[in-house]
Amino acid sequence: MSAQTQRNVVTEALAQIGNCGLFLLTILKSVPRSFRYGRETVRQLWFVGAMSLTIIMTCGLFVGMVLGLQLYYVLSIFGGTAASGTVVAIAIYRELGPVVTALLFAGRAGTSITAEIGLMRATDQIAAMEMMAVDPIAYVVAPRFLAGLVAMPLLCSVFCALGVFGGHLVGVTWLGIDNGTFWSNMTANVDVWKDVVNGVIYKSVAFGAVVSLIAVFQGYTTPPTSEGVAYATTRTVVASSIAILALDFVLTAFLM
Amino acid sequence: MTQRKSYAVGTGLFIVLGFAALAYLATQTTSVANVSQGPSYDVTTQFANVGQLKERAPVKVAGVRVGQVESIALEPGKEVADVTLSIDKKYGQIPVDSVATIYTSGLLGDQYVGLQYGNAKQYVKDGGRLALSKSTEPLEAMLARFFGAGAAADDLGGTYAVKARFSNVGALSPGAPVKMAGVAIGSVKSVQADPVKLDALVTLSIDKKYDQIPDDSSAAVFTSGLIGSQYVAIQPGGSPDMLKDGDEMILTQSAMQLEDLIGKFLVNGSPGDKSGGKSSDAK
Repeated sequence: MSAQTQRNVVTEALAQIGNCGLFLLTILKSVPRSFRYGRETVRQLWFVGAMSLTIIMTCGLFVGMVLGLQLYYVLSIFGGTAASGTVVAIAIYRELGPVVTALLFAGRAGTSITAEIGLMRATDQIAAMEMMAVDPIAYVVAPRFLAGLVAMPLLCSVFCALGVFGGHLVGVTWLGIDNGTFWSNMTANVDVWKDVVNGVIYKSVAFGAVVSLIAVFQGYTTPPTSEGVAYATTRTVVASSIAILALDFVLTAFLM
Repeated sequence: MTQRKSYAVGTGLFIVLGFAALAYLATQTTSVANVSQGPSYDVTTQFANVGQLKERAPVKVAGVRVGQVESIALEPGKEVADVTLSIDKKYGQIPVDSVATIYTSGLLGDQYVGLQYGNAKQYVKDGGRLALSKSTEPLEAMLARFFGAGAAADDLGGTYAVKARFSNVGALSPGAPVKMAGVAIGSVKSVQADPVKLDALVTLSIDKKYDQIPDDSSAAVFTSGLIGSQYVAIQPGGSPDMLKDGDEMILTQSAMQLEDLIGKFLVNGSPGDKSGGKSSDAK
């Protein structure tokens, strides 16, 4: 019995991943058609991107500030507090920026996408669109997916900028690291391709694609019940978090 | 309709803000910020050792950035590094006899090329060459010079062993240098406690070519510098007989304990080496 259940769980998970991949192909196929609904994409970009700015900026600031504090403490052991600007920037660009932004994005935007599409499914709005010959993939799913794809790198950039500002605030303004040393060390050691492009852009685009795909997929395939929508929303957060962290390792290994 | 307009404007603002942040990150916080904008000219120079100098490292005059390191390459067939410096056009008046030196900014800092102006009336031109340069010095060499110890010569052409007894060897450890007149002539082979005589038995390996050491020479444990490592100094005596393999040096002076030293300084007199009778301390 237990072995049977075990296999069901495994096959179910595999089927989920397979369906998710097929769903991605469907979305990509309908992307040209969704350009007709460009206004909808802009509205989604407003919702998942611009509306997420507050949380992203606040979190970026605090992540930068806490890094500044911790690094000041650790580096002062070695008398190397001058390097804290470099370490703040590299840590944020390479890891914390993309990963924390993606986790926040999954919690802030991914859940609401899943809940919205799930409720459309549960209240038969999706079916109604099909009846009216409106492709729900092109009208509902693809704009949200594209918006997530575009919003993530922009949010991540804002997060990183605020993070560096937070590190500067704590390190230079409060703890008294020399301003010039802080910046010159940073500009001397941070590379635009290896750190900014690989971290802030490549990673966040990949995370944006994964989180958006999981969110729209969970919403679109939810069982049409209130319990189903609740479960799908939870699964969006869980699956996104695992996917982000696992993908982060793989991407880091490739982009190193 | 108004609502739609507001989100369109907001979305536009969001996109602009995002790209502005990205542009800021890419241009102000990375090495792109150091790329000189104006026209520049190239000057080459050679270093025996570039240490950790990297491409795009700054070139400074009087601490002010005037350009950057364009390329670092090994001169074919020679043990010399060719370094090309790209210097801003507006700093075009660098005398040809200026000295290029590789400096390190801070202990953990990056290395940069510093230029000290010479007195020549001629200025170095594009594609020109600075003949005078000073390389980096490995930290080990610098520290060794600072502490005056240096390392024991490791390539010894055969050694002979001499024993010496000390009532206190301090922090002397095997491998420490043995010096005569400040020059390393061998190393400490072993440091053991004698279970019977209750003192330290130190075996010194001395290079065979220094076989003219009188057998009444004295051995002392010294410290090089304030926090330097300890070494054995040999003070030659006047005996006509020389030390041979397996001999024991009679006259020794133990390591000075900081506490004793301070005590001596304070009361203007040593309380006496408590184990003085053990080994006849040469004082």
